[in-house]
Amino acid sequence: MLKVGKPAPAFSAPAYLNGGFTNVSLEDLKGKWGLLVFYPGDFTFV
Amino acid sequence: MYDDLKELNTEVYVISVDSVFVHKVWAKQEIEEMYDEQLPFPMVADQNGALGRAYGVYDEEGMIDVRGTFLVDPEGNLQAYTVQTPPVGRNFLETIRTIQAYQDCFKNDGKTATPAGWTPGKAVLTPSPELVGNVHKEYNPKTY
Repeated sequence: MLKVGKPAPAFSAPAYLNGGFTNVSLEDLKGKWGLLVFYPGDFTFV
Repeated sequence: MYDDLKELNTEVYVISVDSVFVHKVWAKQEIEEMYDEQLPFPMVADQNGALGRAYGVYDEEGMIDVRGTFLVDPEGNLQAYTVQTPPVGRNFLETIRTIQAYQDCFKNDGKTATPAGWTPGKAVLTPSPELVGNVHKEYNPKTY
């Protein structure tokens, strides 16, 4: 169950970055503020 | 926009159920054409919706992640989020303001709070037993 003030759900997933493929995780964000932006799909512009 | 986030020591992940290959094509064909530069943040592939499910934004019927914006602090705690249905887009100015407000509170070790309508430079409140019932002396929403 998602709760503010509690640890964000951990994850690790493939990603596209700077022309290549990589893996990113919640852990990678430690020490910085992280903004996770979910959106319905590529090729849309809302 | 991204420069604002960089100044706020904030990393962005954008996430959808599209594969990394589709992300690449979209980035190359449209986004980089529009902005004339590479996207500076990772486009995460949530192909089975696992990530969306963990954050409560996966729509099982449409098999997509709906729009959701989640702010995680440097210790990995979720501080704020907004989730919305498809027709309405986000206003990142409010996202930026929210990050600024949390960072202001963190800077003061959580001893201060930002009242409604706070923007950088405006006064903050220091919650205490004495403040209870006396907020009106420090904070007037009409003139704040």
